Amino acid sequence: MNKLKLNYTSLSFLPILVCIPLGYQLVNNIHFGGFKLFQEFLISAFNPKIDNEIIITVIKRLNETILIGFFSWLVSIIFGAIFGIISSNIFYKIFNIPNFFYRIIRFFLTIIRSIHEVVWGIILMQIYGINFSIGIIAICIPYIAVNSKVFAEQLETIDYKSFESINQINAPKFSSLLTLIWNPIINTFKNFGLYRLECSIRSTVILGLFGIGGIGTSIFLSFQTLNFRELWTYLWSLAILIILSGLIFKKIKFNTTNKILSIFFIAVFFITILFSFSYFLYFIFNNNFENFNSVSSLFKSSSDLGLFDFLKLILETIILTLLSTGIAISLPPLVIGIFNNNSSKIFIKSFAFLLRLIPTPVILLTLLTFNNPSLSLAALTLGLHNAGITSKLLFTNLDSQDKRNYIAMKSLGISKKTSWLLGLFSQQAKSYLAYCAYRSDIIIRETAIVGVIGSVGLGWQLQESLSSFAWQEVTLVLIAYSSIAIVGELINGKIKNSLT
Amino acid sequence: MNNTVFELENISYKYKNDLILNKINLKINSGEKIALLGKSGSGKTTLISVLNGTIRPTQGKVKLFNESFEELDRKQKSKITTIWQDLRLIEDLSAEQNVNCGLLAENNFYFAFKNLLNISSFKKAHKYMKLCRLHNSIYDKKIRKLSGGQKQRVAIARSLIQESNILLADEPFNNLDPKLITTIKNLLLENVDKNKTKKSPKTALVALHRLDLLKDFDKVIGIRDGKIFFNIKRNNLKKIHLEKIY
Repeated sequence: MNKLKLNYTSLSFLPILVCIPLGYQLVNNIHFGGFKLFQEFLISAFNPKIDNEIIITVIKRLNETILIGFFSWLVSIIFGAIFGIISSNIFYKIFNIPNFFYRIIRFFLTIIRSIHEVVWGIILMQIYGINFSIGIIAICIPYIAVNSKVFAEQLETIDYKSFESINQINAPKFSSLLTLIWNPIINTFKNFGLYRLECSIRSTVILGLFGIGGIGTSIFLSFQTLNFRELWTYLWSLAILIILSGLIFKKIKFNTTNKILSIFFIAVFFITILFSFSYFLYFIFNNNFENFNSVSSLFKSSSDLGLFDFLKLILETIILTLLSTGIAISLPPLVIGIFNNNSSKIFIKSFAFLLRLIPTPVILLTLLTFNNPSLSLAALTLGLHNAGITSKLLFTNLDSQDKRNYIAMKSLGISKKTSWLLGLFSQQAKSYLAYCAYRSDIIIRETAIVGVIGSVGLGWQLQESLSSFAWQEVTLVLIAYSSIAIVGELINGKIKNSLT
Repeated sequence: MNNTVFELENISYKYKNDLILNKINLKINSGEKIALLGKSGSGKTTLISVLNGTIRPTQGKVKLFNESFEELDRKQKSKITTIWQDLRLIEDLSAEQNVNCGLLAENNFYFAFKNLLNISSFKKAHKYMKLCRLHNSIYDKKIRKLSGGQKQRVAIARSLIQESNILLADEPFNNLDPKLITTIKNLLLENVDKNKTKKSPKTALVALHRLDLLKDFDKVIGIRDGKIFFNIKRNNLKKIHLEKIY
């Protein structure tokens, strides 16, 4: 008997097997109490509420969302670039600084990055209360660390020979550094900036669900009152905002040879730094630190969380990540491959857009209308949302791919589906899997959001511990989260390296 | 008066388990124009990299103007200009920005900043690009859009703009057509007139493959398996010498 040989194509489909245990639990948990609500939710998508009152609310809420999203994006991309520079090896080579510092900074950023902005938001809200600026800070903290990783990775691609060449000219160190990093930084900003702006807006919406303000808060309130028509008005306006921001961003030319534009960008850069520092100082000196007593009680408070329960929560979080990642990897190629025609493609693209658009807590709450809370339901939610993101990437890559192989196979009489699989997808499978490895890093962090709502894993425990001001438990949960995320990042890094 | 520019004392360089340079002793005096001959992989590039301080030898001492290389300050080290075999230009910058990079050592951070924003003066860069027979239509083109010969001349212009009187060049005539080679060779070996008062003698060590280009050099060094086999005046070069290294 022939041995089963796995290749990148089969590895892209294999994770769909997670649907077997997942489906089993979901079928067992089904209840019919909320089907009507679910139906109403779907119908409302085509009949959103439109009147003067809601339009005014939408404009007001979108304004808040844009403000939080834009400022957190601006600050996090600028400081991300700065931290990216100081956490890249080129900086240490030029200034002859021992690698020891490089490792410390990277480790510090990895820990910050490992905790989701929602978790930062919940913690900061507990300490400072609900505040507009808390939203910006909560997004900025992990985003600076995430952006710094992207910038640092780009700076690592600088050809070592270019470094030697500039270094040999023996220019002042800062001149050499600037000359070498300039283009990688600008290119990263061009290629990555829009995506991060979109992420920033999404994060603002999710934090809004937890009460920080903006359109997220309105979405959550209309869901709580089961006002689905109003809910869809907010969701569609959010869709318009995301599409518009993409169009505007694409229109802006980041042409570094345009002197006036360059000076404008530099002015924005320095003003943002100055403003951030001033605000930071204002925040430090003008805030009521009474709540910090709660933090100081960290070492006094006792924890009711037993070791066995704690390990169970960690295991749940890991299983949640694996199941969600399985769906996010395999669902897009499977659906695109099976329904491989133009009209289905439009439908799949629209559905994927909706999955990306609707915040995960809302997807989960919707699914809860006909299914009991469970790990499988949380995994399905997270998997579907991320499948929306991975399918966007897959569509973009497939659309831009050379189709000669596919056409040649079809001309040989091979079926459309097989031609698609072997002539198109097989060439994308490797890079697709590499992206999915990166995506699973994000899924680990996102388990916190569905955990809070869907009563699973460490996310749920975090919410519970924070509500009862059990700071020792909060710390334990955060350490566990960080550890899982760091280990996950290490494993995914190895996978990505083997795939690229 | 001691006019030694470079002095290598017992230099060895090991990369992993391979001995690339093996106990090299060499003195290069001011104004000497030396051709470095040897097969590919004989250690020419490594020797140049040791001389310009890019790599540190595993053993031995490198001296520039009788001072240990490590003890020299940035200004002193910047007196050396190098043309690399693989050019080492910055692909995302334009040709003129790359040439201006040669001026980074004598200017401050603000100059580097202006160069990247394209608001610095390119007058000097254009002068040397013109000397290298580069057409003005390519001045603002990104390096990655240029042909091999154009890139080669940009790298040479970047070296010339440094107006340095110590030149290390690793096969600088690659990708150039025969007519250009003579022009470029003259430019590279020409004495430097940086202060517009008196031309300083140029010291040059140029790694070569083509023997027909030897006539403008005073001395010839033959290297094989990381060892110097001969270091003689050009007029004394015989077939037997070449047989030792090729």
